[in-house]
Amino acid sequence: MIFRTPLPNVDRPQMEADVVIVGGGPAGMACALRLSQLIDQHNSANPESPLSKENIYVLEKAREVGQHCLSGALLDPRSMRELLPGFEKEAPLDAEVGQEAVYFLTEKSKFKFPITPPPMRDHGNYVISINKFVKWMGEKVEQAGITVFTGFAGSELLVEENRVIGVRTDDKGVDKQNQPKSNFEPGYDLKAKVTILCEGTRGSLTKQLIGRFGLDKHRNAQTYGVGVKELWEVPSGRIAPGEVIYTLGWPLTTQEYGGAWIYGSKDNIVSLGFVTGLDYKDPRLDPQHVMQTFKTHPFVRQLLEGGKMIRYGAKSLPYGGWFAIPPLAGDGWMITGDSAGFLNSQRLKGIHLAIKSGMLAAETAYDALLEQNFSAQQLASYQTRVEKSWIREELWKVRNFHQGFEKGMIEGMFHTAIQQITLGRGLHERYAAHAGHKRLEHIGTLPAGGYGREHMLGPAKGDGKLTFDKLTDVYHSGTKHEEDQPIHLVIHDTDICNTRCTVEYGNPCQHFCPAKVYEMVEASDVPNGKQIHVNFANCVHCKTCDIMDPYQIITWVPPEGGGGPNYDGM
Amino acid sequence: MEETIVVVAEQREGKLNRVSFETLTAAQAIAAETGWTLEAAVVGSNIDAVAQEIAKAKVAKVYAIESPQLERYTADAYVAALKQFVSTKQPKLVLMPHTYQVRDFAPKLAASLGRALISDAIGYRKDGAKLAFTRQMFQGKFAADVSFACDPPHFATFQAGSFRGDKVEMGASVAPVEKVAAQVDAGAIRVKPLNIFKEAKQAVDLTQAEIIVSVGRGIKEQKNIEIAKALADALGGEIAASRPICDSGWLPMDRQIGSSGQTVAPKLYLALGISGAIQHIVGMKGARSIIAINKDAEAPIFEIADFGVVGNLFDIVPALTEEVKKAKAGQ
Repeated sequence: MIFRTPLPNVDRPQMEADVVIVGGGPAGMACALRLSQLIDQHNSANPESPLSKENIYVLEKAREVGQHCLSGALLDPRSMRELLPGFEKEAPLDAEVGQEAVYFLTEKSKFKFPITPPPMRDHGNYVISINKFVKWMGEKVEQAGITVFTGFAGSELLVEENRVIGVRTDDKGVDKQNQPKSNFEPGYDLKAKVTILCEGTRGSLTKQLIGRFGLDKHRNAQTYGVGVKELWEVPSGRIAPGEVIYTLGWPLTTQEYGGAWIYGSKDNIVSLGFVTGLDYKDPRLDPQHVMQTFKTHPFVRQLLEGGKMIRYGAKSLPYGGWFAIPPLAGDGWMITGDSAGFLNSQRLKGIHLAIKSGMLAAETAYDALLEQNFSAQQLASYQTRVEKSWIREELWKVRNFHQGFEKGMIEGMFHTAIQQITLGRGLHERYAAHAGHKRLEHIGTLPAGGYGREHMLGPAKGDGKLTFDKLTDVYHSGTKHEEDQPIHLVIHDTDICNTRCTVEYGNPCQHFCPAKVYEMVEASDVPNGKQIHVNFANCVHCKTCDIMDPYQIITWVPPEGGGGPNYDGM
Repeated sequence: MEETIVVVAEQREGKLNRVSFETLTAAQAIAAETGWTLEAAVVGSNIDAVAQEIAKAKVAKVYAIESPQLERYTADAYVAALKQFVSTKQPKLVLMPHTYQVRDFAPKLAASLGRALISDAIGYRKDGAKLAFTRQMFQGKFAADVSFACDPPHFATFQAGSFRGDKVEMGASVAPVEKVAAQVDAGAIRVKPLNIFKEAKQAVDLTQAEIIVSVGRGIKEQKNIEIAKALADALGGEIAASRPICDSGWLPMDRQIGSSGQTVAPKLYLALGISGAIQHIVGMKGARSIIAINKDAEAPIFEIADFGVVGNLFDIVPALTEEVKKAKAGQ
């Protein structure tokens, strides 16, 4: 098995930039837009010494802006109103939130919460498709005169003497053996004065940065969830546009963290999905299976029956909260959005925080451009800005929220209640967090049914109408990659997969990957009769494998730019 | 001006490109709605057999447009020949399949007559007296209806797969074939084609195969593919496979059928040990007859198979191969 690594001894085209924004999602686009606004303002006030936008680039690995963006989603308009006052008039908003309800599900029934808990109240928020929203933002960025390079991934951080000096883009036209093909194009070395990482959850460059500079020292371990989503078209009248439903409980037990969302959009489209915390104990748990089982609940079945699933996707989320956020800036770099971990896990909202963080990073970059100083001291003002802003105000209140659930739902509810009356503190100043993958238990110690978890362990069979097997679901993600390229899910020691992991954890990659990338196939010359097979072309870029593999030997790197899911309407 | 539609079928090295039947299906539908006469034409040298094959379809007449200069395809020669033919005949509409070859000469042909070409249409609509052709825009996000604003003859090409070649109506009797001697000046041909070769090593075009025997994971081991090959040979078909087989290198990539391989619509597709994941189905669901053999009664392949056998392919396939050989010997 040959894995993707940047080709050595290759002459790479060098390009100079002022600012490189890695990732064209809500954070990256907001950053570009805000920077453009500040430069425009500056230039009209100082026509004799203008700043140029020509050397500001956004790198986006998808073929089209928004194509890899997936979320529920509900947008809190707070930051968009700051960025573009009056944006509601032209942005693609699918519905304004009308009614909300939270249910606790058991296998056959449901209990509605008499009052919707305040953090889950969504009045004033909008049901959006983040894919459509980001596409619209992208248009504005291009109109603003900032170049977006689609089909280009940031594959390596360029570091010199502990300064981040830029980004190397992906090598194109490399075959399965990691050899150049006739259409080989080496990645560019984009030398930037400041690199702003907006890669989303578990960004690959962010991971390199954190590893390189030990940014996770003195921080809580980041913890994650994976959201599995389906977009459905249902018969009229089943759900109103703007209707928001959250569920807790079944099919998860009190020992797993997670829940579902159901949002009514316009034109009889329903967005629904299940988020499973990536800190469950049974390695055979399959988040896509959880989602399928969830749909069989009578409440959900009656909503979807007779409808049609039109798209599927998955995305990981950072649950760690305030104490898991790494240092946000250093010599030549800043981190925004989900890459930094700006998610309010209690409110289940992060898009508005991503946008706000992008704006604050832009303001910091603007100051740095004026000063022509991109040192850690200069960029530290980003950290200050974040701490003085409503980002901290909002996240401080929920700083111990997710950690409270480490011992299960009952304890979690208890801690949440205490935190509510202590302005987020709870019983301790800072609750500890433990990396989710470390909680996986050896399958030898678990019974076949996982103590009543049969309905979510192993692969979903699917009935083809309401529920689907993983391969069918993956087909509906529209994911496509250039086939003749090296495997971009880099497994550092496949022997572990074929020997230790089979025995200890039963190769959970087959289960936690929502895209059926990993398979154990029959082989003759391997100790356990099965060996790991990587169907990288199915990958939906969710990073769950990078997060959840018990030995932490999988590193997700971007495949050749342009490849990946097609999250139209998601 | 004749109220005629002419379908220009495609042949290569004396073999009819089956996609031409799709264009005939479309043309028959348009002829039915407009009341125009449907005729066909084919260009080449010594193409009587091809013309006879086309003549089996329900068309009024088939023209074999011939000249020694048309033996090897060149855009110049084809345009010269068809320009003459169309100028003389003056049909209302000239239809062609949107093949690579048609893409090469059709624009030049239309331009040489000062006419318009609507290309890569996926359908058509009759709007009163006007005929509109549907084209995709922005990678299929939009569809646009386009109609002609100039005088006929009008030229249009249809995207492969937009009409069903197997739905073409056959004629009650074979249509008359008229030979048309094209005057093509050898000196006017500016391109000299050299040897035809296949780009990739052993590149096989499964889209032209009429019978395909396809294997999936159920074949278990690489050496067992021989069993399937034996059946393919007995039937006179091609061997193909679902993705896992090609991924493992048991068959070359050009034998892969599915969303990341080839899309085929043969007369007969035998799926051996193939579960029927949607990624594979989309590559073969257009086949006229589908036979599936799988030991799993719940395999999704049985949902689209016309004939299904729940059983062990290692028992069934060799026996089937024997029966096929006997039947063919008995013929």
